[in-house]
Amino acid sequence: MQVLVVEDDDRIRTVLRLALEDEGYHVTEAADTPSALEQTRAAMPDLMMVDLMLGEVDGYTCIREVRRISDIPIVIVSARSDTHDIVAGLEAGADDYVTKPFQVKEITARLRALRRRLRTSADAAEPDIVLDADPAHYLVLSTSRGAAVLDGNDVPLTVTEYRLLAELAQPAGRVLSRSALLESVWEHGYYGDERIVDVHIRRLRTKIERDPGKPRIVVTVRGMGYRLDPR
Amino acid sequence: MRTGRRALGRRALGRRALGLRHRLVLAFGLVALLVAAVFATSTYLLAQGYLLAQRERIVQHQAFADAIFVQRRLESAGADVSAVLTAAGTPAGHTIILKWRGQWYASSLDQGRDVVPVAVRREIGAGQAAMQRVRTDDGPALVVGVPVQSVSADFYEIAPLTELDGNLRLLSGILIGGALGAAGAGALLGWWASRSVMTPLNRVAVTAVSIAGGELDSRLAATDDPELATIVGSFNSMVDTLQQRINRDARLAADVSHELRSPLTTLVGSVDLLNARRDELPERSQRALDLVTADLQRFRRLLDDLLELARSDAGLDPRPSTAVDLGGLVRQVLGEVGYDPSVLRASEEVFVAGDKSRLGRLFRNLFENADSHGGGLTNVEVSTSDDGVLVVVDDSGPGIRPEDRERAFERFATGATKRGSSSGTGLGLALVAETAAAHGGAVWCTSSSAGGARFVVRLPRAEAT
Repeated sequence: MQVLVVEDDDRIRTVLRLALEDEGYHVTEAADTPSALEQTRAAMPDLMMVDLMLGEVDGYTCIREVRRISDIPIVIVSARSDTHDIVAGLEAGADDYVTKPFQVKEITARLRALRRRLRTSADAAEPDIVLDADPAHYLVLSTSRGAAVLDGNDVPLTVTEYRLLAELAQPAGRVLSRSALLESVWEHGYYGDERIVDVHIRRLRTKIERDPGKPRIVVTVRGMGYRLDPR
Repeated sequence: MRTGRRALGRRALGRRALGLRHRLVLAFGLVALLVAAVFATSTYLLAQGYLLAQRERIVQHQAFADAIFVQRRLESAGADVSAVLTAAGTPAGHTIILKWRGQWYASSLDQGRDVVPVAVRREIGAGQAAMQRVRTDDGPALVVGVPVQSVSADFYEIAPLTELDGNLRLLSGILIGGALGAAGAGALLGWWASRSVMTPLNRVAVTAVSIAGGELDSRLAATDDPELATIVGSFNSMVDTLQQRINRDARLAADVSHELRSPLTTLVGSVDLLNARRDELPERSQRALDLVTADLQRFRRLLDDLLELARSDAGLDPRPSTAVDLGGLVRQVLGEVGYDPSVLRASEEVFVAGDKSRLGRLFRNLFENADSHGGGLTNVEVSTSDDGVLVVVDDSGPGIRPEDRERAFERFATGATKRGSSSGTGLGLALVAETAAAHGGAVWCTSSSAGGARFVVRLPRAEAT
């Protein structure tokens, strides 16, 4: 399992390398966005950890650029705990975040959860679930292939978006609270940040809804959470 | 407490001196009164002098005419003096008194020779006519004395001045009334003038109070008045500067905490790595590592608290609020700090609107404070009241003296309130107060029934969603 650590602070990068190597990861490093993008183009890692403050080209750009070509899990490592920074990073396409100063066990737990998402989507073997039966917008969740298929084409979902959709779809019609989703998809503890769920739901909608502004498949249940309504 | 001090200050000010407004009213009133009084007095004196002179002239003419009449009658032999006096036909109210051949005669029964002053008699004795104002039983009067030498008689005519006196009294009444009226009008003018001065000042005061209350965006409204515009301009630019400064200070704290995070990250990560290999270390190194680990943990908490406070000072980052199950949160935190979650007594499930992790830190700080300073938690209770949800936290310590209770919530509070422990960050209770306030609630300290400290957190109840 190869992890690319994109971080401009040498010392933090070294600590991350040591900690991740202890967990059995193979670690590569990049100190800035251009070299990180170069490395991903040469050989896509299995996971990425990206600092948001990265000199000239910031981490948001790095995440957006990687997202263009890959849906690998990306974890933001940020000293910023301000709302808009985290949300902007998630909007750019990151799957999860940790804030500095983090503890090693925090990082490894996040990565483990992400790897579980990867594995679950590959192992499951159940019949397809039709999410939208409209022939003009035929949407199917194929758990055997770990993908959502819209009109015969795979929707480019990240592992987290896929897991989120799968969680809501099995079985569909239940209302899942944000904290329940946070627990089952992200494996965050009690204080998990519920905004992370909202951002991912938003991104999921832009990919599978006909009109993301008026979602009809993944609907918000006010004050309670989210529900999947197959059509 | 803060409001109490302010009220006290205002009272002291009121006792010390008259307010600007009262002084202006008083000054305008007094000046108006003075001017009116001078004017009225001179008017009165002039009028009095003129009227009196006129009256004296008339009375004098009358007296001489009467004296000539009396002289003619007395010159004819065998005249009856009383009949002569009656026949003189003096105007009503005038009395003629005559001394003739050693006898005194009067045309009226009411007035006799006593009325005639000695000075007038002496003048007449010397052969001179004389006039003098006197005060009789019937009021002021004018006595005119004329020596009638051809019949060796002394002729006196007494004319009343009551009518003139009445006129003068009426005049003085009108003038006094006018002066008082002018003083009143002056005071009114002063009140109006003070109002036009005080209204902008009051606006400044109100704005200043709201700024002191934390509304740093308050400004004075622009005005067309050129003189006021200067004040408004400088006041507003002062507040601008103040706001910038406060923001800069708050940002500095935030930035400093922020910058400390990178080295702290390396430290925390490295110590974690060392701890993972703890068994490989010699015993003494393990002890050193434990010290570093413990203090690093404390340092991290301090930094988190500092950042949180700086953030709330700067008004940065209002976190999204969700409905938080308060009982669940308190149980969670109790578990984290090593208590049996069943310590909590809660009558019902209550929700508050807030940020779960910040509220969690609030209770964590309270519980840890009870642990480190209060000998441990004895009771945690969640209940509802009319104005919100109350969380009561009791400890088994010696309690906090009433005079120290307010200070316990200050940052880095020292002395008796901290009760000599080094485990806290010194920011814990300050953060509790800030967080409660940021959520629209409050925290205060009393004593529990067992004598320990009791902290009560009030939070507004979440609207049912």
